[in-house]
Amino acid sequence: MSKAVRRTSLFEPRRYGELAPASKIAVYGLLALWSTVVLFPLYWVAITSFKLPIDVAYPPKYLPFIDYQPSLHAWRYIFVDLGNDTFRPYMNSVIVAPLSTLLALIIGSMAAYALSRIQYRPSLGSVVTFILLLAGVVLAVALAGIDWRIATLVAFVLFFFLLRALGSRFRRRLGNGDILFWIISQRILPPVVAAIPVYVMFQKLHMLDTHAALIATYATVNLPIVVWLMYDFFVAVPKDLEESAQLDGASRFRIFIGIVLPLAKPGLIATGLLVLILAWNEYLLALFLSTAKAQTIPLLVAAQNATRGPQWWYMSVLIIIMIAPVLVITITLQKYIAKGLLLGAVKG
Amino acid sequence: MTVELDRISKAFGPLTVLHELSLSVTPGEFMVLLGPSGCGKTTALRMIAGLESVTSGSISIDGRDVTDVAPKNRDIAMVFQSYALYPHMSVAENIAYPLKIRKLPRAEIDKQVRDVAAQVQLDALLGRFPRQLSGGQRQRVALARASVRRPAAFLMDEPLSNLDAKLRGHMRAELKHMHHQLGIATIYVTHDQIEAMTLGHRVAVLNQGRLQQIDTPHRIYDDPANIFVAGFVGSPPMNFVPGGLAEGRFKAAGGSLPVASRESRENVLLGLRPEDCRVAAASAPDCLAGTIYSIELIGDHVLVTCQLAGTAIVIKAEKTFSGEIGAAVGVQAAPGRCYLFDQQSGTRLR
Repeated sequence: MSKAVRRTSLFEPRRYGELAPASKIAVYGLLALWSTVVLFPLYWVAITSFKLPIDVAYPPKYLPFIDYQPSLHAWRYIFVDLGNDTFRPYMNSVIVAPLSTLLALIIGSMAAYALSRIQYRPSLGSVVTFILLLAGVVLAVALAGIDWRIATLVAFVLFFFLLRALGSRFRRRLGNGDILFWIISQRILPPVVAAIPVYVMFQKLHMLDTHAALIATYATVNLPIVVWLMYDFFVAVPKDLEESAQLDGASRFRIFIGIVLPLAKPGLIATGLLVLILAWNEYLLALFLSTAKAQTIPLLVAAQNATRGPQWWYMSVLIIIMIAPVLVITITLQKYIAKGLLLGAVKG
Repeated sequence: MTVELDRISKAFGPLTVLHELSLSVTPGEFMVLLGPSGCGKTTALRMIAGLESVTSGSISIDGRDVTDVAPKNRDIAMVFQSYALYPHMSVAENIAYPLKIRKLPRAEIDKQVRDVAAQVQLDALLGRFPRQLSGGQRQRVALARASVRRPAAFLMDEPLSNLDAKLRGHMRAELKHMHHQLGIATIYVTHDQIEAMTLGHRVAVLNQGRLQQIDTPHRIYDDPANIFVAGFVGSPPMNFVPGGLAEGRFKAAGGSLPVASRESRENVLLGLRPEDCRVAAASAPDCLAGTIYSIELIGDHVLVTCQLAGTAIVIKAEKTFSGEIGAAVGVQAAPGRCYLFDQQSGTRLR
């Protein structure tokens, strides 16, 4: 006869693992608010791309067909009138971003794997010697006008000589943690600091305004991110698996390709996606390194802010076609960023 | 094929975890390395595998010195405690992996995988992934992967310790059967003395990085070399009573027992296996006096714990045993079943 008394309270969850009604309202309310903040600009860009210049003026018009009559004039201008001038930067981005990402992933994941599995113990003394000699070469070439080939050769000979003579005295040793920190520290400087030296370098090499220059630069700039992120994923792969593969007869490279990389796939895809987006959206270095032939899509978007004032309608069209591929790739790859891939490896 | 360890040692910095271990595994032999955790048994196994470097000494497999040979070139297979199955590969791919690396033709690989899978009853599971298998099935995949290429030797690192008790008993029998079928020299590491006794042709007992005794399970049990081996092997473990020797008798606080030794000395430990003791009347001759501390019915026998002058002794008694906690009794030993040890060094006195 005892019927459980159910007291319903706004602040009591009905079941363990659920939110109380009041918390639910608060949480979903906040989420809805934030979604609006995130999605509204996208909506605004979308409707602006169909506005005539007159409709962009104050007061704002929010609803197509009601507030204003949509027009395809901006789309026609970008795709038909500009035609090749849109297509070329777009293709440049399509070439530069994925290739630089691929390069950064290949080099970076191998570096991260090495750092996660091999103990490096360079002595502090030899690192300092190397840096001092390098600085010496730069000074000798820049100030004394010595041929760089001679300076480098002398420095190399000196380096090995010093290392042989003093090597045993260098007690302080660096570890993998120091190397990792050094790699990530490359990202501490704001990119603009590096932009001018990089510009000068490619100018001397006559490589300005080429795909190769952009690919090399982006891969270099994004390498620390790849190393840093992939390191964590590789550390999480159980050592037992690799030892087992060793005994099964596999070489280290084979283990890396056949065992470790497949298991780190979610990390590889997530990292790749992040780096791809960074490269795809990069503006500053592209501004320095490309002028016409290798110009990328972010530059074209910015260029719509021309002498006639910002051309919001053209810009909106370009932004939409710029976002689209990234969105499609992210949604396609999302299912591969699944967790639990390591399940069943070593736990009973 | 033989595996020879010649005085191998392993040091991590100032810490030596394995001291000059020498042993020789004959073709087809099942050798068990037994010891408590941290005794160096797993390190020794990993050195044989090549996963740890050898600080000093040498290892040879089938007459070839492999001390500095990479693991992949040693032609040995290892079963890990964690099984170490490749989670992104199916059961069939896992088993085929060692063959694939050896670039065997596809048809040949398929045939061998099917053969070995049938041996360990995995035929129906070849398409599954490790995460879809139970612990015992994963264990069988690990065994199949290790045996598919007929290595020179098997190494097993506590392969049964992740299984529940019932499955462990079952897998123990399967392991024994598999070893019988394949006849490949096996080195098996465990801290479980039952596994050691049931599986091994010979058992090497290690403690603190040193080999204590290497012998057949029989002799390890019946003729332990020192107090460590005597106390480690056997369940419940051997009882130890401190006392002295004089006139062919062992004298302790609660009385004296006849022993085989004619020596006369102090600081002696008497070792008595639970099954070699008997609870007698307090007035009986040749017994140590004590009181009953607890009585536990195990099923086919009763464990009686007696307290005698500060030492607890566990006695395996008939299941019909009746007694009262607190009752005064005498503990008798079966004649000729007394082990004597030096209290300081722990060595056996014969």
